[in-house]
Amino acid sequence: MRYVHLYFTCIRRSILSRLEYKKDTIVALSSFFFSNLCSLAALYFILQAIPALAGYSLPEVGFFYGFSMLPIALDHLFSDEFWLVAYRRVQEGDMDMFFLRPVPVMFQVFAETFQPEGFGELIVGVALISVCASQLTVTVSIGAVAVLCVGAVFGAVIITSLKVAMSALAFIFKRSGPLLQVVYNFSAYAKYPLAIYPAFLRALLIFVLPFGLFISLPVDTLLTGSHDPWLLSLAIIGCAAVFFALAVWVWTRCERRYESTGS
Amino acid sequence: MIEVQDLTKVFRKPVRGSGLSGMVKTLFSRKYDEIRAVDGISFTVPDGEIVGYIGANGAGKSTTIKMMCGILTPTSGSVRIDGVEPYRKRRQVAQNIGVVFGQKTQLWWDIPLVESFKVLKEIYQISDADYAGRMAFLGEVLDITRFLSQPVRTLSLGERMRADLAASMLHNPRILFLDEPTIGMDVLVKEKIRQAIHALNRTYGTTVVLTTHDMTDIEDLCSRIILLEKGAILYDGPLKSLKNRFGNLKTLTLTVPAEIRAETAPRLSPELAISEEDGRLVLRFDADRLPLEQVIQYAFRELRAMDMKIAEISVGDVVKTILEQQEAEHAETI
Repeated sequence: MRYVHLYFTCIRRSILSRLEYKKDTIVALSSFFFSNLCSLAALYFILQAIPALAGYSLPEVGFFYGFSMLPIALDHLFSDEFWLVAYRRVQEGDMDMFFLRPVPVMFQVFAETFQPEGFGELIVGVALISVCASQLTVTVSIGAVAVLCVGAVFGAVIITSLKVAMSALAFIFKRSGPLLQVVYNFSAYAKYPLAIYPAFLRALLIFVLPFGLFISLPVDTLLTGSHDPWLLSLAIIGCAAVFFALAVWVWTRCERRYESTGS
Repeated sequence: MIEVQDLTKVFRKPVRGSGLSGMVKTLFSRKYDEIRAVDGISFTVPDGEIVGYIGANGAGKSTTIKMMCGILTPTSGSVRIDGVEPYRKRRQVAQNIGVVFGQKTQLWWDIPLVESFKVLKEIYQISDADYAGRMAFLGEVLDITRFLSQPVRTLSLGERMRADLAASMLHNPRILFLDEPTIGMDVLVKEKIRQAIHALNRTYGTTVVLTTHDMTDIEDLCSRIILLEKGAILYDGPLKSLKNRFGNLKTLTLTVPAEIRAETAPRLSPELAISEEDGRLVLRFDADRLPLEQVIQYAFRELRAMDMKIAEISVGDVVKTILEQQEAEHAETI
């Protein structure tokens, strides 16, 4: 309970910081919105030229794309500060103040930044899903809706866990941003149906960096009923639990290696 | 109480070649240099004491402070803050200490100062009544009330430092670590900060460990100093004994006619060191061995002094002398 209260206090602080620079916030929010719009437009133009992708129609591919934005947007809202940890904060010895306070360091990193830019992605994603869904002719079961919700929320947990673990390596290497970037970029693969990829990439995207597990498989389940939605939900939740536990473990181990900088 | 036992911190750095080819070789080499930043130091600081922790740049001061407040884990040895090792029970110790790094701020840059304090109030779980009382006291002692509603980035260096001090005192820590709290400040601001540290120490009995390069800070604040060089303690004791370590040292600064030069001036005794600073002659000697009267007579008669200033040696001079001696010994052994 204490931490919930503390979290909201910190988030309020983060939003105050953003509002200090009104124009900057507006520019950032709109540029995010537009960059997403541009990538959507690109997708649209490509699909105009190729009417179907591995048997998937335009609205189906659009649904994939829109759905993939949801877990990424949720992760973006809550854990943006880890990028700074990976790229700069450890290298510049800028983590000292987190270590001086009677609160877990990882909690403070989460609470340091609330990133409203995530809302831009969330809005674009939901809009795209709605538009595409209206053009689809599938029977929607409760199970399919449930597995999509689970995929979005627990997918965000998995992305965040990967981010935490990769940025924790900065405590050892001083800078782990590029590594984090590589892992994060795999989410781009998950914007399309798994069927278009060769077998090894499919396996990688389900078992190692499970972007496919919580994006492609739930959407497939909705479109074709390919998997049992409840079993798949369970698998995603289990996977998220394991990833999060691993991330916390890696973080706490690496945290002790923090060396700060000379002053 | 702070207890430091055989504290050692070794940093391992890869041996680096120079230039691009050297850098590439470094990538594949497994050679490491060991840098002993802190090398087996021990001391104890009782409650309520103000200790000056001094030494040249790179002597290991900040490294020790970082181990004492739980940022760094020692390679060997131990630190105990009221019996608890900070790097093992970081959060527990953090509740009882306050830390200010002069070069960094723990305040949030973009928001009004008071908003930073509100967040810290939640982080340290300070009750409303305690918070109000502490703010009233700190507002007065540190004179920060005036700019509480200004964003931190608009504060001057002196204002920011006072704000940082207030932030570190908000939860009434038993121990305060100050790493160069007066760095880059003008004389008046330094004075204000020193008075504030005194007031905190008197009112709350706060133990203070202070690193600084400003010897006036030390003379004003500290009853005890610990002098560090190359990771080891050179001196630990009262300020007075350090001053007397070289006897009753005095400095005479003379204005003399232009033809009298340090190299050619007639000598009084080998005990008397003569040097030239800004066109004046400076005589340094131990008044216990060479009577002051005799030196003054010599200055007027032999050196034809027109003006004279007598000064006792400053702590800064003593520290400088000790460090120079160390360096000389070090050079000899090599």
